[in-house]
Amino acid sequence: MLIARGVTQADIGAALASPFVRGAVQLSLVTSAIAVLAIVALGTPTAYLLARRHFPGRALVDAVIDLPIVLPPVVGGLALLLLLGRQGPVGGPLAGAGVDVAFTTAAVVLAQMFVAAPFYIRAARAGFESVDQRLEAVSATLGARPWRTFRRITVPLALPSLAGGAVMAWARALGEFGATIMFAGNVAGRTQTMPLAILEAMEADANAAIAIAVVLAAIALAVLITFRGLARAGSRAL
Amino acid sequence: MIHIDVALTLGDFRLAPRLQVGPGITVLFGQSGAGKTLTLEAIAGLLTPDRGRIAIHDRPVFDAAAGLNVPPYDRRLGYVVQSYALFPHLTVAQNVAYGVFDLPRAERQQRVDDLLRTLGIQDLADRRPAQISGGQAQRTALARALVRRPQALLLDEPFAALDEGVALTLRRELRRLVRDLGLPVLMVTHDLTEASHIGDRIAVMDAGQVLQVGDRPDVLQHPRSARVSHLLGIANVLQGEVAGSENGIAVVTPIGPLHTAQTGLTEGPVRIAIRADQIILTRPDRPPDNRLNTLDVEITDEADFGHSRTLYARLANATEASAPTLEIQIAPHPYQVMGVATRRHWRVHIPPEAVHVMQT
Repeated sequence: MLIARGVTQADIGAALASPFVRGAVQLSLVTSAIAVLAIVALGTPTAYLLARRHFPGRALVDAVIDLPIVLPPVVGGLALLLLLGRQGPVGGPLAGAGVDVAFTTAAVVLAQMFVAAPFYIRAARAGFESVDQRLEAVSATLGARPWRTFRRITVPLALPSLAGGAVMAWARALGEFGATIMFAGNVAGRTQTMPLAILEAMEADANAAIAIAVVLAAIALAVLITFRGLARAGSRAL
Repeated sequence: MIHIDVALTLGDFRLAPRLQVGPGITVLFGQSGAGKTLTLEAIAGLLTPDRGRIAIHDRPVFDAAAGLNVPPYDRRLGYVVQSYALFPHLTVAQNVAYGVFDLPRAERQQRVDDLLRTLGIQDLADRRPAQISGGQAQRTALARALVRRPQALLLDEPFAALDEGVALTLRRELRRLVRDLGLPVLMVTHDLTEASHIGDRIAVMDAGQVLQVGDRPDVLQHPRSARVSHLLGIANVLQGEVAGSENGIAVVTPIGPLHTAQTGLTEGPVRIAIRADQIILTRPDRPPDNRLNTLDVEITDEADFGHSRTLYARLANATEASAPTLEIQIAPHPYQVMGVATRRHWRVHIPPEAVHVMQT
């Protein structure tokens, strides 16, 4: 396709140097990194509870967590807007306190978290479930409190799944489009991530659009290859 | 010393073990599903009973009435689970060191080195569990369980996953180790041969309850009930009725009156147990002797177990098809010398000491 359109490396290089493209790449990397860190921080305990504890309403929680996977992202963005927009039940009071969420960089992160979290939580839950509970029991008889058992036994053994889930979530966050445009808008430098920038660029400068697409694909490929390599090394070590 | 007296209902299963474990090895013996592992888990704090008390060396660790439930990490017990559950991501040395993370580095190293040497696995220190044999894994699990200097040791089928030759060596080593450490050890097994060899004491467990506890020879020779006899593999259990006779106490049984060396029996219905290896086979053409408990039998079937043969015999004058069959165990050598294979009619003698009467 690139050749057919007659785009050369020079064109891509020039496009990459433009503040428009650089802004979008930078924003995408920063927001998706924050989103993944937040997903891991909040999703890990959630996944552990789902894997290890039986509590009332577990099936419901499970279904709600998977909902963003089946829901069109635009619907998710709309839901976030209704909830956190100025007229929303949560957004209203926040706006009253001088905090606006919708159409900010924070909204980009929230939109990414919303669509990407299920990928991490599902993988992490499967990872925790695959850890032999007798190992955790033995750890306890060896004087380890639950937190130490979690850190020294459960997490290391579930690590391939946790890392895999984080990479999948990150990839999903990086490519997030529908929920973002709905909830955060398409403001250059503030909410315009790479996928949104591609949309805008297509109307003015196709070269810039293609350049961003290439960067997006290259980053994704590099991360996936690195991750596969790490996973192989990890499984060899076990 | 471990004291346990608890009760727990799990679905249809009611677990209610009552047991005291002193120094030396106590074997918790029973069929699978008897509740042996659950009992260990309750002692270790991995399972919370509904009622009762557990104490380790007079320190209560569980008391339902008082709301006391010491978590497993504060019970100071060594627990070796079935098939060992070594931490797969840690080396042998790291597995052993796992329990002493709270010691200063030098002391930790010292303790791990000592244990690795004691158990003869110092050369495996840097291997992963996937790279060692079953016997080595068992030694590693034992070292890991001992590293915190526990007050008692719980072992769940520690030899079940091993080849018989390896198991034999390790059983001997375990006995020596336990003697040196002076620890109370509670060892679960469903293997009767193992139970009859390793323990100082035997606790027979069935359907969630401990049916009988005692010194090993005593339990093996004097099972308290027909159920215990059956679990201990005593082949011949008969109904009977105690009656006085001119030669002392006799029990009337379906194979005739049998004399017993047991004293203090009261008249009434009983069960009697006779171990298959205590019945003596003699030739029927010998002049009749005046020994007690002599019966003429016909061998109807036999089974070869390699190290012994079992003969199935019924009374020569029995007419009913329902007449009980006696199991007689005989070693391969006398079997050959006496020519058992070629002759079907024999006389058996049951020494009165071998007639064990159970009044429950």
